[in-house]
Amino acid sequence: MELRVRTPQYIRKTMDSNQRPSWVARLGGSLERLRQREDQLTLVLSVVLGALVSLVVVAFILLTGRLAARMYPAGGAGWRRILVPTLGSLGTGYLLWRYFPFARGSGIPQTKYALFIHDGRIRFRTAFGKFFCCSASLASGIALGREGPSVQVGAGIASVVARNLGLEPKQVKALVPAAAAAALAAAFNTPIAAVLFTLEEIMGDLHAEVLGPVVLSSVTSWMVLHLVLGDEPLFHVPGYQLVHPVEFGVYAVLGVVGGLGSVCFVKLLLGLRAWFMRLPKSTVWFQPAVGGLAVGLMGYFVPEVLGVGYNQVEKVLNGDIVLQLVVLLAVLKIVATAVCYGSGNAGGIFGPSLFMGSMMGAAVGGVAHSLFPGYTAGPGAYALVGMGTAFAGIVRTPMTSVIMIFEMTRDYTIIVPLMISNMIAFFISYRLQKEPIYEALAHQDGVHLPTHHSRSESERLQVSQAMRPAPVVFSPDLGIGSALHQVEDGAFDAWPVVGAGGLWGMIRTSELEQAAEDGAGNKKIVEILDHGPPVGHPTAEEFPHVHLDNSLSLALQRMGAIRLNVLPVVSRENLRQLIGIVALNDVLDAYGVAKPAGEPERRE
Amino acid sequence: MATPSPARSFLGTMSLVFLAISAIAVADMFLAKTERAESRVEAARLFKQGQAAITHGENAEAIERIKDAISIERGNRAYLRTLAHAQLTAGKTADAESTLADLLQTDSTDGLASLIMARVLVKEGRFSEAISYFHRAVYGQWNQDAAAKQLRARFELIDLLAQRNSKEDLLAELLPIQDQPPGDLKMRTRLGQLFLQAGSPARAAALFRAVLQDAPSNADAYAGVGEAEFAQNNFRAAQRDFQTALRLDPDDQAARKSLDLCNELLTLDPTLRGLGHEERFRRSLKLVELTEGEASQCAGPNPGPELQGLLDMVAKALKARVSAARQSDASESNLDLAEQLWARRKECKPPPATDSPLALVLARIAQ
Repeated sequence: MELRVRTPQYIRKTMDSNQRPSWVARLGGSLERLRQREDQLTLVLSVVLGALVSLVVVAFILLTGRLAARMYPAGGAGWRRILVPTLGSLGTGYLLWRYFPFARGSGIPQTKYALFIHDGRIRFRTAFGKFFCCSASLASGIALGREGPSVQVGAGIASVVARNLGLEPKQVKALVPAAAAAALAAAFNTPIAAVLFTLEEIMGDLHAEVLGPVVLSSVTSWMVLHLVLGDEPLFHVPGYQLVHPVEFGVYAVLGVVGGLGSVCFVKLLLGLRAWFMRLPKSTVWFQPAVGGLAVGLMGYFVPEVLGVGYNQVEKVLNGDIVLQLVVLLAVLKIVATAVCYGSGNAGGIFGPSLFMGSMMGAAVGGVAHSLFPGYTAGPGAYALVGMGTAFAGIVRTPMTSVIMIFEMTRDYTIIVPLMISNMIAFFISYRLQKEPIYEALAHQDGVHLPTHHSRSESERLQVSQAMRPAPVVFSPDLGIGSALHQVEDGAFDAWPVVGAGGLWGMIRTSELEQAAEDGAGNKKIVEILDHGPPVGHPTAEEFPHVHLDNSLSLALQRMGAIRLNVLPVVSRENLRQLIGIVALNDVLDAYGVAKPAGEPERRE
Repeated sequence: MATPSPARSFLGTMSLVFLAISAIAVADMFLAKTERAESRVEAARLFKQGQAAITHGENAEAIERIKDAISIERGNRAYLRTLAHAQLTAGKTADAESTLADLLQTDSTDGLASLIMARVLVKEGRFSEAISYFHRAVYGQWNQDAAAKQLRARFELIDLLAQRNSKEDLLAELLPIQDQPPGDLKMRTRLGQLFLQAGSPARAAALFRAVLQDAPSNADAYAGVGEAEFAQNNFRAAQRDFQTALRLDPDDQAARKSLDLCNELLTLDPTLRGLGHEERFRRSLKLVELTEGEASQCAGPNPGPELQGLLDMVAKALKARVSAARQSDASESNLDLAEQLWARRKECKPPPATDSPLALVLARIAQ
């Protein structure tokens, strides 16, 4: 279809005043033409936003790091490690309560709220508040991560820019996940995992339509990140190799430990958050200080608990932390992160998940290596796998966790053990904590987001469960009068016509009645059918039908599109092979909606 | 107030976005640059702490500090090399090997890393691999003063080969530096000693003489020439050189021992020039007597028939009265008898000492 674009008046004026259009005019014209082409505009904006979000996230990371180095420098006084997190969380707690109430927490659920509830709308104030408060609280040593907040900041920027560009809500909703992917790609230096996470967790659909913008945005973000910070993976790890097949068993044990640890963490976090939420509203502004004080007290004795702790993760990946400290850090980080998050601080759980996972992995690996030194690798290899295991157990995105660890470390040899551990941790977490963490957090906020479970539930009911054999099948050569006689008491709007080659189509009762009224009662059905015998491969629009494994929701959608209360069910192998029919009442019946009296019963 | 048209609003927002991108990019570049600079300073501070810990022998502490420095400034080769050195000193050879393997993977010509790797492998008893890394160090790249560092690496390899008494390999390593010996007299003297150890006394003697040209009163060089002459069976020349060495340095116990040995040899050797028939005969009898004693002692009370035959011949030779005219022939047959007895003695366990005067004289006769 040709798209006719009208050049705006102010550009035409520029062109009129000069014989040849200036570059400004030409640029303006190009932008205007782009503005009117929705799909292209979305793709172009996903690139622009990818760059912008990446730069903002880089600034966020650098600022946070530099502030942290000044607030609690290594080797600083012990009292400082108590005071700084407490005061930091108290200050940001007040700001969050007073000015940025939507900037609390991780940022992932908030991005989902914006996407699924508010047409992708995130206020500039929220994005700014998230950036500012998270920088301050993370720099003060709060045991939370920077990746979730980056996602909300990125999504917020996309939302603000897209709305100011005057885009439709549909386009805004396409750009928000793209920017979220860009933010994650920049925060973790993992472009592929960012795409997967956005589709797997934020969109909840690996085949989402926004794949193109998400990929473009993530790749752009990654490229910008490399331009600014260079080509360095998040963690440097020595090359690990599987020492002996026995190790697969140890990795399975790690999966169990990681799964149980993840469940403990999620339950503790949700429990503490629920407890804090029950406290009087007047305490909300200083609740975060409880988290700050808790982490400060832990940090007084064990400074490694403070902050995101990626330095410690790198150390444990290189096998440089002793077993006792590793176990202690795993336990303390679970408690510290749960208290910090539950008390309402701004920060995410991605980074802490990796920290906990690496410590749990190193603990399992350390024990295994001391028991079977000849058969197992050092604790570093297990720490690496442990990171993915905890991520899979806590965030419940197993695909993302595998790819993320691979991208972070660029070590391919660890993939198979990683998959084994991840799947076990995911399964255990699924069994013991039915609700994934982000869904549970949303529920605590009183928000019911579309979940993977609810989506699959709606897709679960299939045509096969509502199908019945066609009570009447017309031949194309049947007379219209006879046909009308056969369907005199029929409750359906249309009837299948089956002739040579199979199903020809559906003929409406109204068409038969109209023909009879027009005095064509002795004509044959074939004479009033708007098409002849079947040819070629018609689409669903040209030849309305459903298959046995289609969802009932799709059947309803197609019934609505052609305004019929019945559809033919045909074979996937041969569209002309009629298997049965599915009627509106049978669909309603399958959904448990009471059937009106006098409707024909469905026969199995 | 009039609302701007959508097109104007679009252009305005896009302009702002690009402006924001430029501004944040500049800010990011500045932040990144500052961060890198501060990180380098912090890494250098930690590295210095690590070096100080190494100096005080606190290797575990040194490893921690240097690792901290590396975690800030990843890929700094100087830090990584020092870490490997600290790990080696702390006995963590596997860790050191891993650190060095990463370093050498990115630059296989790194001379210092190769040298430390060679030391690690020596400590692990993997000598053939170590020698290969020594060679990589000798022919590798060094930051400053490459020639001197390469020479030091070669000397380290030479020391290893000398310890392991690999004479051929040792000589192969010594030959390239023979033509360009180090300027330091001590090093040149040492080089001469190494040539001696490698079984090349002529080259050693040339080196020692060259040293004596520059330092005529160098006792070590005289002792070295003495050893070289001795190794070439020039016992008289060796005796002279040892005497000079002892005159210059009377406390040189090694030279004194060598001189004593020389003196013994010179009193025992029947093949020395300038000996009269009578003296040569007397020495040949003494040699037979000493050889018989060694052989009898080793064989015990029941010698084999062959040895018994030789012992009977010895008894005859010792009892025989030889006229002055026949002393020359008798000396020859005595020496022949002594050689046969010595051959039997060598077959007997334990084998005779190779550096005893008797063994040395008989070796010279055999030549």
